[in-house]
Amino acid sequence: MECLSLQAWLHSGVMNMPSRLPSAVVHTDYGATFPPKTLATLWALWAAFWLLMITVSIEDQLRDPLTRWWEPVLSEGSSALVSTGWMWLAVRVRGRYARYLDKPLAWFGSYLRWLPLVFITWITAVYAIRHGVYATVGRTYAHPGWGFVVVYESLKLTYFTGLWLGILFGIDSYGQWQLQWRRLLQTQKALAEAQLAQLQGQLRPHFLFNALNTVSALMHTDVARADRLVAALGDLLRISLRSNEHEMTPLAEELRTLELYANIMLERFRDRVTLGWQIDQALLDIPVPALLLQPLLENVFKHGVEPTVAHVRIIVSVRRDSGSLEIVIGNSGCMLASEHRDGVGFRNCRERLGIIYGNTASLLVRNEGDGVAARVLIPLMDTIQ
Amino acid sequence: MIRVVIADDEAPAREKLERWVAEQSDMTVVGSAEDGLSTAQCIEQFRPNVAFLDVQMPTLSGLQVVAQLEPSSAPLIVFVTAFDEHAVKAFDLNAVDYLLKPYDLDRFTRTVQRIRERLHAHESGATAVAIGRARTPACERLLVPDGERLQLIDAASVEWLEADDNYVHVHTAARTYLLRRTLQDLLSQLGEQRFVRIHKSTAVNLGSIGSLTPLFKGDYEIHLHNGRVLRLSRRYRETLFARMGQ
Repeated sequence: MECLSLQAWLHSGVMNMPSRLPSAVVHTDYGATFPPKTLATLWALWAAFWLLMITVSIEDQLRDPLTRWWEPVLSEGSSALVSTGWMWLAVRVRGRYARYLDKPLAWFGSYLRWLPLVFITWITAVYAIRHGVYATVGRTYAHPGWGFVVVYESLKLTYFTGLWLGILFGIDSYGQWQLQWRRLLQTQKALAEAQLAQLQGQLRPHFLFNALNTVSALMHTDVARADRLVAALGDLLRISLRSNEHEMTPLAEELRTLELYANIMLERFRDRVTLGWQIDQALLDIPVPALLLQPLLENVFKHGVEPTVAHVRIIVSVRRDSGSLEIVIGNSGCMLASEHRDGVGFRNCRERLGIIYGNTASLLVRNEGDGVAARVLIPLMDTIQ
Repeated sequence: MIRVVIADDEAPAREKLERWVAEQSDMTVVGSAEDGLSTAQCIEQFRPNVAFLDVQMPTLSGLQVVAQLEPSSAPLIVFVTAFDEHAVKAFDLNAVDYLLKPYDLDRFTRTVQRIRERLHAHESGATAVAIGRARTPACERLLVPDGERLQLIDAASVEWLEADDNYVHVHTAARTYLLRRTLQDLLSQLGEQRFVRIHKSTAVNLGSIGSLTPLFKGDYEIHLHNGRVLRLSRRYRETLFARMGQ
């Protein structure tokens, strides 16, 4: 009970946790899922290649006055047509072979085993088209003997198949890499969101019950004060429930939340605690992570006030420290033990700062003067000149 | 009159209890405390019939306070807490009562009713003490009288215990404290981990034993690190050897 967040506690059984947890995202089905752009790139390259081949061939053959303009077009066009058919098939099956992308030999092997069939069908189809077209215009398609044709075209096909498989391999590998990178980013984002949701709800049931008991005690002596306390508790609850949507909040709001919490705690521990504020008013509009400071003040009460009978003075100070916003929550009268290890509250704050600011923000807890100070440094991004 | 001690480190919580107890015609608040140590002192000094104890307090928790009490003379205990409801429910409801914060006058009145019945039946807080001891880790600290005040000492610093009728001399390296407790009860409070009985009237901290010298008839002499020599009666020999062999 104690370690449940307020929100989880209030909503248990009513509201489910966000189901976008990363477990389902880390699968590795390569399937036929490639970013659509990679396919377009491939076909654009293919078209450019054949245009170039046809152009070069026309220019080459037009130097011979006996050759008609359509002859080189037919020659390269027939090659392009049949090659495109095979290329189309290669693209169709690439989803099936994609799982071999991290084993290039296996990937190339799975394509190249079709090469003999390509030789036969390609030569048969291309030469059939050429002979057919020549025959329709009443001419004969002259070419070297079939033995030479088969060897020559097979060599050429092997060369170009190798080239295009290389390109296909490059494009597909890049596509896969992009896809996995995107998944990784999504995973990290989902993870960060889940962590944030978990790290927020900072109010503990224990705090609530004690606060309610304080109200119930005050009602008999000072109705107005009890009333104020209930209102503060209500505001605090509202803020705590809302803060999931509003991850960032202006410093002024955050300090107001801190004050609500402090007012309740000061009422509970009156005569034992005093609280002072030293706020640089110019910094009040700066956005800070919502409910970042409350756990730090909670820690002061838990470790600095509750275990001691001595009077404790707490100071909350906000100022600009070169390029950073510096927030210090410090207390007198209680030092960190030498074997002190940061508790859940500090770890959560530090993790949140890490998620939002990377390593440009920091949280340091250490002995200062006759007490302990928790110091938060947040980069002032917007105001860096 | 039913004499009541109230302990809570939060002033409003204390005042609420004080007010409601004072409203009972047969009850009077004899003392209030805001931390564990002064609670124990209050109980020692005022010998109340009932103690309302907050579980979470500075210096000693309510449970730790109870664990330090002498069972037969302990007051009836009512734990008052906002703490883990399940932990409190685990207490035997017949043994101790508890109030979960926030509580209302009805709930408080039921508790008061139960207290009257128990006192009428001459029950003591012995079961509460047993629960307190079971629920606090084998007492690391021992509450001892130091003149007018009570003081907490580290259980590990106790070298040996010496029974003297209904009192126990608690020997530490620095000095000796006299506790109005039986040796049996003190050993049950300190737990079996550290102390072992070596004689009808003596128990020793295993850590302070230096060496053993056999005597006639199976008795031994135990030499402590501090040079003191204690007698190990053969009745307790097997237990000690078994514990030392662990």
